[in-house]
Amino acid sequence: MPSADVAVIGAGLAGLLTAVRLAENGARVVVLSEGNGALHWAGGPIDLGFRPGARTAAAVVGQLARRRAHPYAVLGADVAPALDWFQRLTGDLGLPHAGSLSGGFGALPTGIGGIRPVSIVPEAQAATLQPWAPGERLVIAGHAGYKDFWPRAVASSLARPEVWGGFSRPDRVVGVALDWPGLRERRNLNALRIAEHFDDPDWRAAALDVTARGVASTGSGPVRVGLPAVLGLRDHPRVLEDAIQRFGAPVIELPLVPPGIPGIRLHDVLRAKLRALGGRILIGERVARVEVTEATVTAVATEAATREVLTRVGALVLATGGVAGGGLVGDPDGAIREMVLGLPTDGPPIERWLHGDPLNPASLPIAGAGIRTDEALRPVDPRRPARGPLFGNVRVVGSLLAGQQWMIDRSGDGVALASAWRAAASLAGTTASATRSSRTTEAVR
Amino acid sequence: MTLARTAAVPTLDPGIAWDALVIGGGATGAGLLRDLARRGMRTLLVDRSDLGTGTSGRYHGLLHSGGRYVARDRDAARECIVENRIVRRIASFAVEDTGGYFVATPDDPDDYVDAFPALCAASDVDCEEVDVTEVLRRNPTLNPRIRRAFAVPDAAVEPWALIEGNVADAAELGSLALPYHRVVGFDRSGERLLAARVADVRSGTEYRVMAGQVVSAAGAWGGQVAALAGAKLTMAPGKGTMLVFNQRMTDAVINRCHMASDGDIMVPVGTVAILGTTDIHVADPDHWQITRAEVDELLDEGEKLFPQLRRMRLLRAYGGVRPLYDPSETGTESREVTRAHVVLDHAPRDGISNFTSIVGGKLTTYRLMAQDTADAVARKAGVTERATTAQEPVPDPHGDGKGRYHWLGGRLAAHEADGGGDAALLCECELVTRSQLEEVLDRRWPCSLDDVRRLTRLGMGPCQGGFCTFRAAGAVADHAARATSDPIAIGDMTEQAMADFLRERQRGTQPIAHGRQLQEAVMTAGFHWGTLGLGSLVGTSPGSDAQR
Repeated sequence: MPSADVAVIGAGLAGLLTAVRLAENGARVVVLSEGNGALHWAGGPIDLGFRPGARTAAAVVGQLARRRAHPYAVLGADVAPALDWFQRLTGDLGLPHAGSLSGGFGALPTGIGGIRPVSIVPEAQAATLQPWAPGERLVIAGHAGYKDFWPRAVASSLARPEVWGGFSRPDRVVGVALDWPGLRERRNLNALRIAEHFDDPDWRAAALDVTARGVASTGSGPVRVGLPAVLGLRDHPRVLEDAIQRFGAPVIELPLVPPGIPGIRLHDVLRAKLRALGGRILIGERVARVEVTEATVTAVATEAATREVLTRVGALVLATGGVAGGGLVGDPDGAIREMVLGLPTDGPPIERWLHGDPLNPASLPIAGAGIRTDEALRPVDPRRPARGPLFGNVRVVGSLLAGQQWMIDRSGDGVALASAWRAAASLAGTTASATRSSRTTEAVR
Repeated sequence: MTLARTAAVPTLDPGIAWDALVIGGGATGAGLLRDLARRGMRTLLVDRSDLGTGTSGRYHGLLHSGGRYVARDRDAARECIVENRIVRRIASFAVEDTGGYFVATPDDPDDYVDAFPALCAASDVDCEEVDVTEVLRRNPTLNPRIRRAFAVPDAAVEPWALIEGNVADAAELGSLALPYHRVVGFDRSGERLLAARVADVRSGTEYRVMAGQVVSAAGAWGGQVAALAGAKLTMAPGKGTMLVFNQRMTDAVINRCHMASDGDIMVPVGTVAILGTTDIHVADPDHWQITRAEVDELLDEGEKLFPQLRRMRLLRAYGGVRPLYDPSETGTESREVTRAHVVLDHAPRDGISNFTSIVGGKLTTYRLMAQDTADAVARKAGVTERATTAQEPVPDPHGDGKGRYHWLGGRLAAHEADGGGDAALLCECELVTRSQLEEVLDRRWPCSLDDVRRLTRLGMGPCQGGFCTFRAAGAVADHAARATSDPIAIGDMTEQAMADFLRERQRGTQPIAHGRQLQEAVMTAGFHWGTLGLGSLVGTSPGSDAQR
């Protein structure tokens, strides 16, 4: 029977970081994931927390940590060391992230012509952390006919000062719709296909030429160039360098409707790092059941095709996500079920799952549903937290943790980082259990 | 897919004196426009919104055989079967001949089931008992404990194509339908309405429309229109809630064989199936909500037909308001209020000689309602021409002349014909391409994305506009740029299109979401508010049609 010191279920940001951190500490780790993970939906920024009027992410983290229901109440102190580690790690992996907890916010324009406040961003969005100079313009450029990025629509929207919500903003926003080489006949383009084109040096040189001419046609003077977030997948650092050099101007990658190329880049480098550290990652593996002995998980059975594989484990990390990720499922009778261990959940009553004006992020109280834990991130019963952890060797990380209104407080990535850091620390020294007799828990499907 | 061939939305020439003005662009109003035009009366129709956005566009899609009324209202049943046969003949393009069954579940009383064939015969509704094992074999998700089944000529009817066809026929004869034109008042002199004051709701421009006869076909909103004319009319609007499932769990209409009630009918419509319906009295046809409790009751009842219903993916809930009319006008709140239609002559009622209202009724009998009303209006106007709408076919606005039998691969085949994998798909759920969207924008501009939806099914699949809204908004911006070079105006217009559509689509998810559809809703909201920064655009926008 295969074994692992720790099995991590879920391959989103929290799951991958927990696994990498554990592997760095010498654990034998396996990541099991039903799908590709939520990073495939991510647009680049690492959200630690935001509220209108806040000056730094550190201040918001501190505020959220004072709310008893928010995961930062337990994890707030770990945000700084976890971020420090994350920035060193991604820097080493060729995907450096700019910004800091105390450095303030910038406004990142997005592919629908909005902005989002950011504090930590990948290199291709780092220019948004610098204030705009007087007279500086933003040129939104992209391929005409690419359905997920309409340069003129984006520019028209961003031309309205109120969209920038008080952040430093460009003097002028101009959109140019271009004809990137060879794409005209490929009408059903998607971000992945274009990103792969950018990985090709010849195609890239030609596309950057066309783009540079388009930018130049909008006038002279200081400028930043906003492009859809498709600037290469494997060779992204090179693509970015070439673009900046060719334009002689900073470049900003605008996040798009999924799939999110910046998130996929991060997923790919973390996965490669995990493998380099000896960890295993299995995508397409659904957890079918878990074996339990005396409040201890001893083995995990996964299903791929028709085969069942039982892996003996020393500990289990749940990084399955909340309702959005599929870690929780809301039943028609109002029950909110945790899908691997059937853990008791904390969340709103069914009448309030989705409630109020849908054009307000407060209309989704269900997004805050999740699992309550102790300080070591071991799951507890939300109605009887004082009784202590329900499983000694289980940790809960990421958006499965209850009490985050991540669409409003924008703390989702910070919770992922800090909980990965905390879970890995608290599982230091765990090894695969040798226990044989065990009770089986069917995964709650 | 070929879209409607009607010309771009025309503008109003204030110099014309119309023979008649019809207020309300549902099926009845459109039918009336056609009927009056065919009698030689040059008629203008106005609607405060797009055509078919009131009750006609918000019902379960059933072309009644009459079977649901055989016990309670024999006259209504008879009208239904007669009109059912006519609509099939004159507007086959809008009808999917699904056929229908009345099935006896263990919850349905024996005496009703035993009497059903005779009740149908008494109303001339074709009804034949069929082998229940065969019905269950063809519809494997039906309750296996169903013990008897009766086949009836129920069908699914597509309201928007039907309305467009009626309007197109009238347009050939010089009549005109104007969406987004609201009647805001009348000029009255003594017993006559001389003119209606009509506002273009998009530009704000107000016109004075001269018309010999004024007819309100405003349905549930009939009381409001009557009040503008200085007449009194009390409607008894009844809200019906329907649930849309992301699959056709049946290819035929399925009814419970009992006294018609809530949650006892499933209608396959295009790619989806619709469970209907509730009946709740509402005070105001524009302000009502759908609750989880109501959805639960519908599902409880629906499970008697399809036991696995709660495991099937629900896309959304929506509601329509029946234009019910209680002749006692006491504001009754009951399913017992008649479904029959009534033509009200406001001359004896309110002392207005040239004002008529049509109230009550149902989509299946829209043509008869129009005919009865046109008879009354023509009489007042001294026009002697007789109705021809029962004989003359309605032109097919889609022009493809094909029968409308839904088949699973139909949309994919249309997509392949439009360039296949090479066509830019803006809405992956419903296979709507960029060229289709642009064609509608060219033809109907200025219009909302919800108007585009009714013609293309944009945003009607599992993601409920989660992805395609932004793509469609991009096309809207490009379109708006043809009329103005002011980026601020373009930005505002695009944002409004985006906000209205997202709000309308996502509101339908709120009372039904669980399982996969709940996951979809939260995942979608996650990238809207998180990744794309939607809050910087619409976080505080008031919404132009918050309650529709």
